[in-house]
Amino acid sequence: MGQISEQLPIVVESLNIGFLQTLKLFFVTLTGSFPLGLVIAFGSMSRFRPLSYLTKLIVWIIRGTPLMIQLLIIYYFPGLVLHNPIWGSGEAGRFLAASVSFIFNYACYFSEIYRGGIQSVPIGQEEAGLVLGMTKPQIFFKITLLQMIKRIVPPMSNEIITLVKDTSLARIIALQEIIWAGQAFMKGSHGISGAIWPLFFTAVYYLIFNGILTMLLGRLEKKLDYFR
Amino acid sequence: MIMPILEVEHICKSFHQTEVLKDITFSLEKGQAVSIIGSSGSGKTTLLRCLNFLETPDQGIIRVNSETLFDANDPSTRIESAIRKKRLHFGLVFQSFHLFPQYTALENTMLATELLAKERPDYKAKKKDIHEEIRAQAEALLAQMGLENRMDNYPHQLSGGQCQRVAIARALALKPDILCFDEPTSALDPELTGEVLRVIRNLADGNTTMVIVTHEMAFARDVANHIIFMDDGVIVEQGAPSQIFGHPAEERTRQFLKGYMGTGHF
Ligand SMILES: Nc1ncnc2c1ncn2[C@@H]1O[C@H](COP(=O)(O)OP(=O)(O)OP(=O)(O)O)[C@@H](O)[C@H]1O
Ligand SMILES: [Mg+2]
Repeated sequence: MGQISEQLPIVVESLNIGFLQTLKLFFVTLTGSFPLGLVIAFGSMSRFRPLSYLTKLIVWIIRGTPLMIQLLIIYYFPGLVLHNPIWGSGEAGRFLAASVSFIFNYACYFSEIYRGGIQSVPIGQEEAGLVLGMTKPQIFFKITLLQMIKRIVPPMSNEIITLVKDTSLARIIALQEIIWAGQAFMKGSHGISGAIWPLFFTAVYYLIFNGILTMLLGRLEKKLDYFR
Repeated sequence: MIMPILEVEHICKSFHQTEVLKDITFSLEKGQAVSIIGSSGSGKTTLLRCLNFLETPDQGIIRVNSETLFDANDPSTRIESAIRKKRLHFGLVFQSFHLFPQYTALENTMLATELLAKERPDYKAKKKDIHEEIRAQAEALLAQMGLENRMDNYPHQLSGGQCQRVAIARALALKPDILCFDEPTSALDPELTGEVLRVIRNLADGNTTMVIVTHEMAFARDVANHIIFMDDGVIVEQGAPSQIFGHPAEERTRQFLKGYMGTGHF
């Protein structure tokens, strides 16, 4: 037991650094996939058939294959097959490749949620706005948008919580996120080897972060409870 | 002779192969109410949607105050950007209200007027005054609808009859030349139709120009100055209520009205 209390500060510091990378990947993914998802949603709803078929095909492929494979392919394909390692070497390159994979993957999931949200607002809402002399943008921003947000908050919350846990997949391309940091102590990092308890600690990080997110998203859902 | 406020000439509308409106022609004078009756699927809703530019007729002309708003043969009347302003000549009250759920009764009534006011050149300078004016007008309208105690309620907190009265206030706020109703009581429980019909009757007494599609025959007879009976996309017969309900000239009209005898609607 004495040994653990000596090791604790070292482990916590290391996990903090890993967790920072996890957080970075999380927020970069959200920032990129929120808007990209909307673009994909409009693409799949387009009346221009080739565009809507193409986006639907891409969404099908991305949602139909494991994120881990996408990560590996996006990271290794340019270097191994094209002999053009666009990601660069080192942690920065791995982070970039992970970000691109995650943004693309999550944008595809979000696009389907957006599409459902947009299509679930009754057409009568738009028609009521038109009859009242509103412009299309006014109708979208003043009428449709909030109703759509209200409908997509619960499914989006699910995806966001899943994303927190999915960031750990970036471990497969050796991104130094929190699981990588926790696992390092099994192999002899900082002179500590064979220690499995730091992995339990990483679980606590996830739990706490997801707890906070669940609370915030729950609050947002409550906030939108004032109308139906 | 008085110039009609609304002239509808030879309107035709098809969806794919189905002809829904076949050569519809009628006119309406300012301050008058016309009621359109007819069986389900006869094209009443489609006609109102054409007047409000939610559908584009294939043929025909729509004039308001002698201004040609739509002419199927004149492409310049189909310009998308101009249609928005043209819609403002008309108001439309839907069967199922279509209130905006995230806004209170008062906000529903004010929203469109406020957005429109932003286009006024003096908006920036007189923002506060304009806002106050719009608010006062909306409050007055809701009070006129008997909703003075419901202004801050959201649609889901209101009964169907109250919702429909908010929808009427919302339409009136833009001061349309012609207010259209599409079966305003059909989505309501029977005990709630009275309050909505009473409001429309008051509007008629105040000489609001209206086109009212309804299945309430007694109400149509009572409130409208003119009745149009439609069947299968054509106007079979039109005239004064006493004539249509008392001495219908056409067999189809007689058959249709017979269906309402003794149902309590008549
Ligand atoms: N968007 C559309 N596409 C295809 N057909 C349509 C469309 N809108 C209406 N129709 C058809 O046009 C016909 C007339 O419909 P409309 O809604 O105008 O009738 P209505 O007189 O209002 O009937 P109701 O009393 O049931 O409201 C119906 O046969 C309907 O199926
Ligand atoms: Mg109808």
